[in-house]
Amino acid sequence: MNQNRREFLRKAGLGALAGLGAAAGLFPAFALENTDLSVFSDKPVEGKVRWGMLIDTRKCLGDCTECIVRCHHDHNVPDFGKSKSEVKWIWKSEYEEAFPTASAQFQSPEVEHRRFLTLCNHCAEPPCTKACPTEATFRRWDGIVSMDYHRCIGCRFCMAACPYGSRSFNWEDPRPHVKELSNTYPTRMRGVAEKCNFCSERLVKNELPACVESCPQKALTFGDLNDTNSELRKLLAANQTMQRKPELGTLPSVFYII
Amino acid sequence: MNKFNQFLVALVAGVAVFVAVGFFLIAGHRGSASLTAADVVAQTPAAVGKGAPVDSAKCIMPVDYMRAHHMQVLDKWRKDSVRKGTRTFVNPEGAHFDKSLNTCMGCHGSNPMFCFMCHEYANVKPTCWNCHLSPMEVPQ
Repeated sequence: MNQNRREFLRKAGLGALAGLGAAAGLFPAFALENTDLSVFSDKPVEGKVRWGMLIDTRKCLGDCTECIVRCHHDHNVPDFGKSKSEVKWIWKSEYEEAFPTASAQFQSPEVEHRRFLTLCNHCAEPPCTKACPTEATFRRWDGIVSMDYHRCIGCRFCMAACPYGSRSFNWEDPRPHVKELSNTYPTRMRGVAEKCNFCSERLVKNELPACVESCPQKALTFGDLNDTNSELRKLLAANQTMQRKPELGTLPSVFYII
Repeated sequence: MNKFNQFLVALVAGVAVFVAVGFFLIAGHRGSASLTAADVVAQTPAAVGKGAPVDSAKCIMPVDYMRAHHMQVLDKWRKDSVRKGTRTFVNPEGAHFDKSLNTCMGCHGSNPMFCFMCHEYANVKPTCWNCHLSPMEVPQ
C-alpha cells in the first residue's frame, strides 16, 4: 500500500475519533451511561406524613354550607333528592349525632343547637378497610383512607363497618344526578360506595382541600399530624380538642374544638 | 504538501464522514414515523395540574407501542399513583410525566374523537367513561 494513502487513512480515522469525542462532549447522553433512575425511587415513605384536620366549631356557625357545596361540586357528588339514597362527603350533624358518646348532661344550649361539620375521619385504624373484601378501600402511605372505585364491587361492608356514617352508596347511575359536571374529579358509576378522599387529587398539586380553602371563617385547619411544627399540631397543643367516638380505638385524624 | 497540511485535510475528511453518517442516521429515524389523523395532537399540552413534573409535549412512548399497550400503561399508572404513590413516569428518552389520565388528556383531549375513533373501529367498549369525563363531555 502507498505510504501516503496509509498515512491518510490513519489520520482520517483519527479525525473520526475526534468527531466522536466532540459529539460526546456536545451530547452527554451519547457518551455517558444512563443513570438507573429506579435507584432514586419517588416512592413515598410509609407513615412519614399523616394528614389531619382540625375543625374549630366556634367559628363554624349558622347555616353556612360553603364547604359542602364546594366539595360536592368539585367531586361530582350526585344529588338523588331522597334522604334514603343520599350521597354525602361532608355534611352537618347535631351534637348528639356527631358525639353520641360524649357527655351531654346540662350542656350549654348554644352547643346543643350548634351543627357540627362531619366528614370521613381518615382513621389511623380504619374499620372500613378491614371490612373491604377486595381492598378497594385502603389506608394510604400518608394516612388518607382512599378508595379505588375501579375495584369496588358494591358489597357495602364498608358502610356497615364505618362508625361515623361517612360512606354513601350509589343505588342509581349518579351521572344524570350531578347538577353541574366538574372536570376536577371523575364521577362514580352505579353500584359503588364513595366517601371523602381528603382531596388527595388537590394535595398532589400542592393545594389545600376544597373545604378548607372555601371556608369563609377559616374554621378548618389542614396539616401533617406527624410534623410537630405544623400549624395543625400547634393548634392541637394550644386547645382542648375532641375526636368522634374515641373509645372505638379508630384514632380519627379529624379533631374538633367545641 | 507538508505533513501538517496533510494531517488537517485528513482531519476535516474524518469529521465530514462522521457528520454525514450522523445526518443520515437521524434523517432515517425521522422519516420512519408516519402520521395518521388520529395521531395529530396539540403541540403544547393544555393546562394540567402541576403534580409530578411533565416536561414534554410528546407522547410518552412511540405510537406503535401506545396503540398496542395503552391499556396496560393506564392500568399500571393507576396502581402506581393510587396505591404506591409513585407518580413520576420516566420514558426511555428520560422525559418525566405525571402518571395521570390528565397527562394523556392534556394533549389528546384536543381531539374529542381521539379515543372513540379506534374503539369504534375495533368494536371495543371500555368502561372508562362510565366515571371519567370523556373529551366529548369536558366543558371546553
